[in-house]
Amino acid sequence: MVATSHDVMPDIELYQPADEATALDLASRLGNEGWLLGGGQDTYGWLKDRNKTPAAMIELTQIDAWKGIKEISDGIEIGAVTTLTEIANNPLVQSRYGVLAKAASVVASPQIRNVGTLGGNLNQDARCWYYRRGLDCYRAGGNICYADSPEGLNREHALFGASRCVAVSPSDTAPALVALDATMVVSSSSGERLIPAQDFFVGPDRDILNMTVLNDDEILTAVRIPSTWANAEFYWEKVADRNVWDFALVNIAAVFKVSGGTIEDSRFACGAVECTPRRLETVESEVRGQQRSEELAVRAGEIATDGARALNYNNFKIPLMQNLVKRAIRG
Amino acid sequence: MGEIVRYKRDVWGEEVILGVSWDLLYVVFMAIVILLIAHAIIMAALAKKNLDRPTGDGRRVVRHESIDRLFHWLMAASILVLIFTGVAPILGLRVAWLDIHWISGLLLTFLVVAHIIRASFWQDFKSMLLMPKDFAEPFDSSRKPGKYYFEQKGMHWAVTVVALAVIVTGVLMFMQIDSPFWDRTNSMAEDQLGLVFLLHGLSTLALVALAATHIYFALRPEKIFYTRSMISGWMSEDEMAANHDTAKWSPKEAE
Repeated sequence: MVATSHDVMPDIELYQPADEATALDLASRLGNEGWLLGGGQDTYGWLKDRNKTPAAMIELTQIDAWKGIKEISDGIEIGAVTTLTEIANNPLVQSRYGVLAKAASVVASPQIRNVGTLGGNLNQDARCWYYRRGLDCYRAGGNICYADSPEGLNREHALFGASRCVAVSPSDTAPALVALDATMVVSSSSGERLIPAQDFFVGPDRDILNMTVLNDDEILTAVRIPSTWANAEFYWEKVADRNVWDFALVNIAAVFKVSGGTIEDSRFACGAVECTPRRLETVESEVRGQQRSEELAVRAGEIATDGARALNYNNFKIPLMQNLVKRAIRG
Repeated sequence: MGEIVRYKRDVWGEEVILGVSWDLLYVVFMAIVILLIAHAIIMAALAKKNLDRPTGDGRRVVRHESIDRLFHWLMAASILVLIFTGVAPILGLRVAWLDIHWISGLLLTFLVVAHIIRASFWQDFKSMLLMPKDFAEPFDSSRKPGKYYFEQKGMHWAVTVVALAVIVTGVLMFMQIDSPFWDRTNSMAEDQLGLVFLLHGLSTLALVALAATHIYFALRPEKIFYTRSMISGWMSEDEMAANHDTAKWSPKEAE
């Protein structure tokens, strides 16, 4: 169904559980009919356009156990309904995991960051306008990709990993968490599972309808960031058409362990170039044990885009990504 | 009541076919399971009357050349892989199925083309032809067939029609995705694409039913020697005499 904008929300049941057990029970009971609600920034458009029609919403922001930032034995744990503003301004995050604080600080706009949550930013759906418009594309269960048709507008779409769908991961915090080797804490009424951030996101080759490995009865409840990369040198940059209230054309998160100008170890991840945050392992291998230099930056930049396949209108993303990698290595 | 065909609105707001309703997969699956269980029960009830089965001992004759057995098993493997990889995302399994699917599809296409050429010029093509007189065979126990009996011919031609439908529609769908041979154009009109998806889906459902039926009969105790012959190539003269008319089929002796 093609989108029709409405001024009002549709009739929908609203659940506001105040504790974890109730929320998990609701998620289990409602399954795919229950829409998990954080700050609502990826929700209300879908519902007002009637392009997603869940029977109920489960608002998670009343659950104190899933809020806040705390130290744990090996790093920190951030509750999934912690707001992006809180993460961006938190002294612990700023001092130890600056790349995440920086990433959270440039999501959308101040108003959105004040209500938008980490869980919402990580779990938000694809921002392809054909999909958002309500067209029956592959991601919506159809049999065609409008963005990758001869006349499709695909300036913001994927360079890598396209499998029928060419949408990209829109999250700013996701590449930072992949770079920091974070772990997602996923809970359901039957227990908890821990998933490396890199494996949390899923491409269209494996699941064209979803962007994460979350099952219908599961909730992302927290993110744990190990101390491995605490206080590491970092680089974050987001390139978008405007500085506020926009999604990245390409963003990059990189963390380095540097000694005497030599990069002993690093992790790189780019967003908005693939349906999942793209870890740049070949770049990491290339720079390991190398002195920072312009030659190294150029070489790593070229390696970063090996295998890229531009669409009709997003060829600019290739040099953009190369330059971001170069800038990250230059520091 | 479930639907058979799924529809959608195209970019112009017109209603076009999207594809087959995959609810039918469960309907086909249940129907086949019920039919095969019913057949198994009836055959078990009649089994006491049929204790004098032919033996596999004694002299042997060649039923399938090694090249034909290789074709058969490769086709079987590719069809099973195609069914699994095609059905997996419908069942919600998160597997990277698409590349495996089209590679298996290309293999099947190559095998089918090769089989058609070989059957047309190097094999006894007439032995597989389904003639009007063959339709009396199931109702007349005194009539014995040549190399293939009525049900085998029927299964062969049903699989042929369905496999060709799957292949033709599959190739058209293959052209809509990236491959090592071309970059996709993704330019087929939505109504035509929907029709292709519908035909591919319907033929897939038929292929699931036929594959399940074929495997079931291949494992039936009274038919298992045919399966053995598809593995080892031979059947005994006793089995041949009991089931086939030597005047219509005279194979060479197996080594």
